[in-house]
Amino acid sequence: MIVVAVIVEGPLTGEGEHSALAGTAAELDALAHSGSVGATLRFEGIVRRNELSAYHGREQALRALHYQSYDPMAQRGLETLAREMGEKHGLLSIIALHSRGNVNVGEVSFVLEIAAPHRAEALAAMADFIDRLKQDVPIWKQPVWAE
Amino acid sequence: MNAKTNRVRVTVGDHPTAREIIAALIEQHPVLRFALSAPRLAVNHVFATPDTIVSAGDEVALITLVGGG
Repeated sequence: MIVVAVIVEGPLTGEGEHSALAGTAAELDALAHSGSVGATLRFEGIVRRNELSAYHGREQALRALHYQSYDPMAQRGLETLAREMGEKHGLLSIIALHSRGNVNVGEVSFVLEIAAPHRAEALAAMADFIDRLKQDVPIWKQPVWAE
Repeated sequence: MNAKTNRVRVTVGDHPTAREIIAALIEQHPVLRFALSAPRLAVNHVFATPDTIVSAGDEVALITLVGGG
């Protein structure tokens, strides 16, 4: 199983993702051409314009979300979770990338990409991973309001 | 809501458990109430159980509700 789990500075762009995956690009390419992958899923978490303000009790316009991580526990937690989910669901590869710092509205803060022999495992792993991420990986988001 | 600090000092006995540290936080830092509804501690970057014993020199972190993704 190929596991990549990285916390990167700022939004997840094509370039940032490419550099996070540079060390495993050949392995991922070989897997893609191996004939063993029956399903791939990709989830992108994107910062929405409106967020509920606990202070005002209603939705307000955001400029960005600021992500803070408790390191190195967050990095290790992301990696452990990816490995655990990969083993539990029998995945062939799992890539989990999360932002740290400011991510503007419309930008991507989280990427989860899964390859599995069949769709059922891939779909189950996707939901399971995201639920666990929100429980066990010490990453917090703080709203940066538009005004 | 923000505690506006990244560390606080609490007074506890020798070799406190994680449970005792949380109780001390609630008592000595009521301003942190917002963060203590479902408190979990990490000791040296590993989630602690309520009975985990904390020793001198350990790094203790209060992990409030997280919100990644």
